Amino acid sequence: MTVRRNIFSYLMVAPALLLVLALGVYPMVDSLRLAMVQYDLMRLDTDGAPFVGFANFRTIFNDPRFLGAFLNTILFALIAVGAVTLLGLLIAQVLNLGFRGRGALRSLVLVPWVIPPVVASAIWMWVFQPERSPINQVLKAMGLIEGNIKFLTDAIHTIGPFSIPMMAVSAVRIWGGLPFVTVMILAGLQSIPQDIYESAEIDGAGAFHKFWYVTIPMLRATLAILVTLLFIGGIGHFEVNYIMTGGGPANLTNILAVMSYQQAFTQYRFDLAAAISSVILVLTSIVAAFYIRDRISHD
Amino acid sequence: MISQSLKNAQPRGRVKLTHNSVLQIAMRWLGRIVVALFAVGIVIFVLLPFYWMAKSSFQTNTEIIAIPPTWIPQSLTLEGYQRALTMIPFVRYLTNSMVIATATTVLSALLASSAAYVIARYPFPGATAILAIFLFTQLIPPITRVFPVYFLIKDLNLINTYPGATIAYISFSLPYAVLMLSGYFRNSYPVELEDAALIDGCTLFSVFWRIVLPISLPGIIAIATFTFLGAWNDFLWASLLLYQGQMKTLQVGLRDFIGEFGSFQRANAFMAACVMSTIPALVLFSLGQKNMVQGISAGAVKG
Repeated sequence: MTVRRNIFSYLMVAPALLLVLALGVYPMVDSLRLAMVQYDLMRLDTDGAPFVGFANFRTIFNDPRFLGAFLNTILFALIAVGAVTLLGLLIAQVLNLGFRGRGALRSLVLVPWVIPPVVASAIWMWVFQPERSPINQVLKAMGLIEGNIKFLTDAIHTIGPFSIPMMAVSAVRIWGGLPFVTVMILAGLQSIPQDIYESAEIDGAGAFHKFWYVTIPMLRATLAILVTLLFIGGIGHFEVNYIMTGGGPANLTNILAVMSYQQAFTQYRFDLAAAISSVILVLTSIVAAFYIRDRISHD
Repeated sequence: MISQSLKNAQPRGRVKLTHNSVLQIAMRWLGRIVVALFAVGIVIFVLLPFYWMAKSSFQTNTEIIAIPPTWIPQSLTLEGYQRALTMIPFVRYLTNSMVIATATTVLSALLASSAAYVIARYPFPGATAILAIFLFTQLIPPITRVFPVYFLIKDLNLINTYPGATIAYISFSLPYAVLMLSGYFRNSYPVELEDAALIDGCTLFSVFWRIVLPISLPGIIAIATFTFLGAWNDFLWASLLLYQGQMKTLQVGLRDFIGEFGSFQRANAFMAACVMSTIPALVLFSLGQKNMVQGISAGAVKG
């Protein structure tokens, strides 16, 4: 019976597993191989694709744009993870309070979840169109700014360490990421037993103390998972940056994923593109490995 | 940690006992106002783009290029929608998206539930390793494998075809679907059900096909919703695998507006196209959400 069951199991799992191996795992490995050969589409007919070792990596590491894109990738990921987690925590707290209209508010917060990234980017580009931006209009009416903010093209002004386009693009990524985070944190909040709060209240804890000494520790597992997932996703993010700015202006919003895509499909340098995406692969694999080890041992 | 919190909280407690009402009531109202302001801020942040998209889609072109912008359309018009349908082959793009996303969803649901079922129910040698492979592929961002996948589909002569994109989407949706469904199969109905059927002489496969699948349909549909949305909303893969005129999906086709028409000249048509390409996803999501809740709470057979 066991043998029959095992054969049955392998037959059932095979189609899914083979597809994932062929179009998921193999391409990742093949990316690494591609990063170590010369694969210039313009010279493919004459040169072929000879093995060149780490030459592609040397080329990209010597490209100043790479370092910029690398730092931007990390910075974007950190901004998105930080802001989304913080806002998600606050929103979930508010949604967890009993008040009228809570259900409606919750559904509203969820909506950006289903908006395709292309559409989200398109709408925000329109909202950010300097002369016609409702944001500029309101800020001007309030007397906070004199000229229009050029959200996506201002390469000069900065707010602290962040350029204006970086802030604008981040806002869109945060906007799209909030629903998922809010849902996860809300589920975490609802699994905290109420009597812990009650006993903390009896002991005289105020709202802030309850949040800091009960909620946060109880949410630690949820938050750890979330931050890991968000960070990995943030490192590999592509769509919003690519569509809204294409990495510009002056590479201020350039990130590794966009740089890689452009190397391949505008420069036809698939080898350099693969080398850049290999950097993403290595970075994310390290984080993912820890996460998987934890998950599997919990199961 | 709690005991520490109590120490810190002590003085506050005493304050509460000595001064009372006025300060306390003021603080409580202050708290409420802060919460309300925060909630309003979030609602504006979330909704402003939607409102801006919707109102722009109903404005005339003259109104839309006016400076400063108008918040409330002076004359509602469907001009934007008419134009969106004619400026790009909208219906064709929509059909492409629909066919590919539907095929992906059905096939992926079948493959994922077969795999998830045995992983959850028959702990066979290697099951954990397989789960780890799925988890890994699920986690690693797609940009790390686009080029080899592109070459692979190209070598199969499936670029700019439905099957090429569908195979790719199925394989990308499988890890998430298998992970979610194996959790679902593990908890959604009692093992006795299978055992009874096996004793009655059912084969292993017919237990899965005739008993497990039908009971688990709500959960499978919930996961399938995510698969559909993933394929429907995708830009990255579609931009590589379906780039030729007539074969583009909606998400890639929408970029025609950015490329050819500048960012605002035809913004009403662009926004109308955005509205139309979001509606299917929104409708499905609201239906799927209900299913998700049902699927998780319905669970087992009664009695």
